[in-house]
Amino acid sequence: MNRRSFLTLTPLLATLASCGKTSKIRLALNWKPDPEFGGFYAADYQKHGLDVDILPGGAGTPTVQMVGAGSAEFGIVSGDEIVLARSKGNDVVGVYASFQQNPMAIMVHESRNLKSIADVVQGGTLAIQSGLPFARILKQKYGFDKVKIVPSPAGDIGPFLGDPMFAQQCFLTAEPLAARRKGAKVQTFPVADVGYNPYAQVMAVSGDLLKKQPEVVKSMVAAVREGWRAYLDNPQPTNVKMQALNPSMDMATFNDVANAQKPLIEAADLGSMTKDRWEALVKQLNQLGDIATAPSVEEYYRSL
Amino acid sequence: MTIRKALPAFIPFLVITAVVEFLVRFGFVKAYLLPAPSSVFLVIARDWSELVAALAKTSAGALIGFAASALFGISIAVFLSSSRSIQRAFFPYAVFFQTVPIVAIAPLLVIWFGYGMRTVIASAFICSIFPVIANTLNGIVSTDPALQDLFRLYGASRLVTLFKLRFPAALPQILTGLRVSAGLAVIGAIVGEFIGGQGLGSVVDVARTQQRTDKVFAAVLLASLLGLGLFGLINVISSLTLRRWHASERD
Repeated sequence: MNRRSFLTLTPLLATLASCGKTSKIRLALNWKPDPEFGGFYAADYQKHGLDVDILPGGAGTPTVQMVGAGSAEFGIVSGDEIVLARSKGNDVVGVYASFQQNPMAIMVHESRNLKSIADVVQGGTLAIQSGLPFARILKQKYGFDKVKIVPSPAGDIGPFLGDPMFAQQCFLTAEPLAARRKGAKVQTFPVADVGYNPYAQVMAVSGDLLKKQPEVVKSMVAAVREGWRAYLDNPQPTNVKMQALNPSMDMATFNDVANAQKPLIEAADLGSMTKDRWEALVKQLNQLGDIATAPSVEEYYRSL
Repeated sequence: MTIRKALPAFIPFLVITAVVEFLVRFGFVKAYLLPAPSSVFLVIARDWSELVAALAKTSAGALIGFAASALFGISIAVFLSSSRSIQRAFFPYAVFFQTVPIVAIAPLLVIWFGYGMRTVIASAFICSIFPVIANTLNGIVSTDPALQDLFRLYGASRLVTLFKLRFPAALPQILTGLRVSAGLAVIGAIVGEFIGGQGLGSVVDVARTQQRTDKVFAAVLLASLLGLGLFGLINVISSLTLRRWHASERD
């Protein structure tokens, strides 16, 4: 920005800040518009005096860095990303956890007759993002010597369909449904079952914004919470809206996914987080050696 | 002598490194967005054995893909140069290799070639073959007509004309094509590794999910050294083959 445009902007910013009614807010997603973001698209931000721009993402959109760098006010991240980011000096705080249960799972062909993740790593191929904490926890727990580890195909199920001994990391709400539609008999093992269950699709904000404009963050959380309630009760209208933005996913899939994810999201107090869950996560990441010290968990999240 | 010639190249490197180090040290840029050069060098030192093993894999994939590009690219160009109509019929398909979005088809490469080295080589090959074809073809078809007449006058066969005149005359362009394609082969290999799972591509992928920007940059730095190495290799070949007759290699 050159000096002149900055000068013309300054009074504008001042007015915006003083009236505090509508301020432009960017919400960065880490994937394309789909049901996992249903509540964010269903939310009525205007009602809360917010003017929100939702920025769809793709594979590897660095939402956590975007929030820290201020290129988006809010971003969708996973719980463990927040812990890692803070340990690197990136001051981000979780304010709303869409998924109470982590949707990460390992999907296998039913024909293998496996009982648990411990069986999955006894042979065949496992496609997994080996840098992610859950992958390293599985490695620590079960060892990966007998299974061939390959990179996660990022949502693609081609290699899975072609190989009965192929297992891959998946979102319970995505790849298994796609594979079943292609006629595969699929079995899933949630990673939460082995004790790793960080909050997922967490809305994060920078500590700076939280300090300077707490009421904006509060309104945002309220709008999103209402949005999720509305979406869980009736996903149809929002699905139509999102499908227009993401036409590569068909309407039937939108509805299937919205249904499948419901139990992972539903809670007495939508989006809320507890100290116990964060403590468990911090302890696990500490044991993995990802974070050197385990600071007080209060800094990771805020209940609003 | 050679050291003195290489010296100017180090000056921008030192200046840029110093400026970035300063910006990060004094908090103008956050380290999780752009790591300090010192921390990148530290990572290279600490994870040396892992990074060197990854670099070796990436080098092998890029080199084999690049060699295949050189071999097939030059052969295809020679074939295309044999007649105007053949050129018109097939050259548009060569352009396909230039425009193919490698990231989009990389997942298919895995299905065709399996995980590992073969996918990496295929990706490096696809990325790097077009400049070789285009430059070689351009070189061969722009042989000096007077010299071609001379060869015809002496009754030289097409094959003799090709190997004794057209091909040597095209060498400067061929080498230009190879220089361009060397860098592309490294990019292609790393993209292939993202999907095929090994080498520096895999290191970058893992480091990214752990928010280790310093390690991402360490891998990127090694990848660019590999590109530089390939580039240097072509320069050596260029100087050996062109030294005696082409203006570009005279000091």
